[in-house]
Amino acid sequence: MRQTEHMSIEYGTQSLLDLITRRNPDDAAWRDLRRRLDAMSDAELTDLYYRLRDACQVSEQGLVYPNIQNLHATPFEREKDRREQRPLVEQDSLSEVARWYREARDKSCVWWLENHVIARHALSSCMNCGACTALCPAAEFNEFNPRAIMSLVQEKDETAIVELLKSDTIWFCHQCGSCKTKCPRQNSPFGMISSLRQLSQLKGYHVQSIRGRQQYFARHFWGGNLWNRACTLYFRNPDPERHKDFGPRFAAYFRAKEEYLRRIGAQPDMEGHLSGRKVAPETLEELRKLWTAGGAVYFWSLIEEAAARQAAQAGMTIDEYHNHVMSEG
Amino acid sequence: MNPYHLAGRESTWQKHIKDIPVDNYFLTLSCILGSFYPASETMVPKVFDLLGLRWATTHTSHNGWSCCTAIGYHGDIMPIEATLLTVARLWALAQEAGMEVITPTCVTSFGTYCECQELLEQEPELRGRIARLLKDTCGRKLVIPRRLAHVSDVYYQHRERLAGHFQYRLIEAATGRPLRVVDHIGCHYAKLFPQRHAVGGSEYCDVLAGMVRTWGGENVDYPERRHCCGMGFRQCMIPPNRGATMASVHKKLKSMAPFKPDLIVTNCPGCQVFMDKEQWAVHEMTGEKYFIPVITYQELAGILLGWDPYEVVGIDFHTVPVEPLLDKIGIPYDREKSWHREP
Amino acid sequence: MSQAAAEKHTVMVVGGGVTGLGIALALDGLGIETLILEKGPSLGGKVKDYDKIFPDFVSGRDIVNELIARVERVPRISCRTGTVMAGLKETDTGYAVSTNDHQRLEVGAIVLASGFEVFDARLQEEYGYGIYPNVINGPELESYLDPHGPTGGRLLRPFDGKPARRVAIIFCVGSRSKRLGNPYCSRICCSYSTKQAIEIMERDPGAGVTCFYMDIRTYGRGFEEMYQYAQNLGVKYIRGRVSECSVLPEGDIQVRAENTLLGKPVQGVFDLVSLSVGMMPCADAACLADLLGIERGKDGFFSGVDQYRAPHDTRREGIFLAGSVTGLKPIHDCLNEALSVAGRVAAYLNNHAG
Repeated sequence: MRQTEHMSIEYGTQSLLDLITRRNPDDAAWRDLRRRLDAMSDAELTDLYYRLRDACQVSEQGLVYPNIQNLHATPFEREKDRREQRPLVEQDSLSEVARWYREARDKSCVWWLENHVIARHALSSCMNCGACTALCPAAEFNEFNPRAIMSLVQEKDETAIVELLKSDTIWFCHQCGSCKTKCPRQNSPFGMISSLRQLSQLKGYHVQSIRGRQQYFARHFWGGNLWNRACTLYFRNPDPERHKDFGPRFAAYFRAKEEYLRRIGAQPDMEGHLSGRKVAPETLEELRKLWTAGGAVYFWSLIEEAAARQAAQAGMTIDEYHNHVMSEG
Repeated sequence: MNPYHLAGRESTWQKHIKDIPVDNYFLTLSCILGSFYPASETMVPKVFDLLGLRWATTHTSHNGWSCCTAIGYHGDIMPIEATLLTVARLWALAQEAGMEVITPTCVTSFGTYCECQELLEQEPELRGRIARLLKDTCGRKLVIPRRLAHVSDVYYQHRERLAGHFQYRLIEAATGRPLRVVDHIGCHYAKLFPQRHAVGGSEYCDVLAGMVRTWGGENVDYPERRHCCGMGFRQCMIPPNRGATMASVHKKLKSMAPFKPDLIVTNCPGCQVFMDKEQWAVHEMTGEKYFIPVITYQELAGILLGWDPYEVVGIDFHTVPVEPLLDKIGIPYDREKSWHREP
Repeated sequence: MSQAAAEKHTVMVVGGGVTGLGIALALDGLGIETLILEKGPSLGGKVKDYDKIFPDFVSGRDIVNELIARVERVPRISCRTGTVMAGLKETDTGYAVSTNDHQRLEVGAIVLASGFEVFDARLQEEYGYGIYPNVINGPELESYLDPHGPTGGRLLRPFDGKPARRVAIIFCVGSRSKRLGNPYCSRICCSYSTKQAIEIMERDPGAGVTCFYMDIRTYGRGFEEMYQYAQNLGVKYIRGRVSECSVLPEGDIQVRAENTLLGKPVQGVFDLVSLSVGMMPCADAACLADLLGIERGKDGFFSGVDQYRAPHDTRREGIFLAGSVTGLKPIHDCLNEALSVAGRVAAYLNNHAG
């Protein structure tokens, strides 16, 4: 890639830049980082982020955005997302869909199961035949039983449901749908579990279990990729260090991925419409509006709130908390 | 050899004939393929062009692609309304491009399109709300597609014509034996709406098996054929949970091994990643050697078309080496083009 | 052989199975003449192939043969095999019926006793019936246990002819499934399956029979005792609906279910898997309903106008129902209904005489 033009940016000291774009600071650096981020105003923080993101270089193949790779999955990006999304969920200007979820928060679990569209479609008269559990991959390898969950939900015992929502149990499901195919009464255990998982997060019960807490990681991993790149995965996400099970050939590919993506015609961090491309700002704007209207941003703020509370209780910074939940279990 | 009544199997899947459109496709992409096997996506437009099909995809800045957010939905960070709106936008883009049917390369997208279609059909109030929000937020119109097809449906529909362009068949060059091919179907393709949306239904789904037979190979049935690969969204993508995924892959490999498959074909990006990549870890942890090449149907078509295995098909993206398969079929390749220095 | 003039009969019974035979004999006992119309090549229906019936393991074949012998001796009963109704018209005295072989019949009353069909197990694709050789259905198991049947009463694996000692019996195949379009319970499958399990264990105490069930509905007199006896013989009952069957390299069948009472998924390997299929309305039910101008219930079976007050009557005068045509029932219930409908028909004819 020949550098024929380079847009230069003024950004603070080099050490700040290094710090904020480091994915895995060491212990001391976590707190330093948190102090620095807290010291920046919303405008400062978001402005810096976008200037870095939009810095581009002209290459033979087209415009390349070389900073995206340094920004994704960093505490800096996560902080920027938090600050940016907060005004969108002011209590008195919530979207219509978000308001429904906010009101549902105060209602009982049984109310939710009778009114949430996914739950309504998922369960009617389960006869406990066990066809779902017979071939559930999660039931094979974990203490998990979709039939038992459907049975419990059917009982409409508020206390028992709350206990369920606080446990690891509902988080084992693979969402594969094998259960839905087999149910003689055309129910959908995995659909019900989807609904239960959302309820658990709505009410903040998910933080009481190890697997539930992982949702904080999920909220920033997929949510951050969506919010910033319009795609739940970014081609740089599967770092071989965290995917050792993929083997040495994968690690070899990952070391030279830009070259190989370009070789087969993809557009890593470039403008275009194929894999790895940088999303156009107009598209991203539109999607963000849709996700705000659709209640996603509100939902993320609830996950954020529960995490902040639990982090404070544990005496961790939010960044330490994030790191903790993604490796626990 | 399978103790099997082939005629019985034929008559079973043939009960589920899917009305797959023959033209006018709007292509949407996959998060996972884009990150792990991008060549499978870049080959799709090439195949569409080869067959002279009318197709379009998103590329202007305002009408850019987004993923469908289904990983977010099945990962429980997206309320259904947000996913519905995202999907509705993609459907609107397809309409605006003048294409009748939206064809995703991703099976999760496909499953989500089917679920969204059903929900909107059955819930008039929800439909009204989504239509209104879509219009108010970005000025687009909600149009619920009549037919839904996955890109593997398209390849299935045109498999005979495609075969006409092939330089190779699924046959062992040295002996003339048809290759034994395990077809692994993504759960969200066949299991969610088997009657309406899966070629051949869910039990004897034919979308990949049909390609294999037409292209010279032999179908393999094995006890865990319908078992999920274990990808499981939050199970594979949140590091501590990966064991469940690995266990499922291992179970399937162990079950298919006695049938000595020559390769595994997939139509789901998630399945492709994990059936391919976990084989190394399974070997490391159990000592069991499988190393059965796992390829997507796009890659399969690509190699049989005689396209360059490295530059076009991207076999280097694989953890299990694909070269032994090429050798078996008698497809030549230039080893110098590989970026893996060890065999 | 066609005739110019119509043949007159007092009562026409459609169906020459155990119910139809019973009706004709009961009517004869009341002095009434009957014609039996049977679509198949011979009389006897399904029960003539049952070597043993529950709950007391007497021979179904013997019962049917006895009925047929009596029917043949009785001058007031005539039979036509290979014959079906093709048309029906109301007349002053009853009905004018035309048949597929161009006969014209004039009858005073009609009793529909055309029975049922078994569920086509190929429709429940996850069990591999018709694809995996060692997966059979209940009626086929019946024939394998029959000393006069194709295997001489030995239980063998269809795939390789080896003895079948590990047997799975899957309940509720084609029944209690909204997904398959048959939400109803077929009532007697639990009982016939248990009977078959007993037969297998009695002949081969070293065999292993596992029944996969959702509920055990051995509801009739003597049925529960039969169930207990089965358990005493060592038949295993696992409460869980089977999710799928797969074939292993040697032809063995792998079955997956959940043992819901223990709350754990289970997998078992068997020589032979028998699918206890439920019932469907008889194949020509729609056609018969049309011809006779009578209604069927939502489940496709015929229903009497009022289950309590007029269980045999249809909404059409002079047309009655009896036997499995209104739903599967034990054989002795069919014979009971044969007697009760005969009484009903006799009363009807009495009120319309002259």
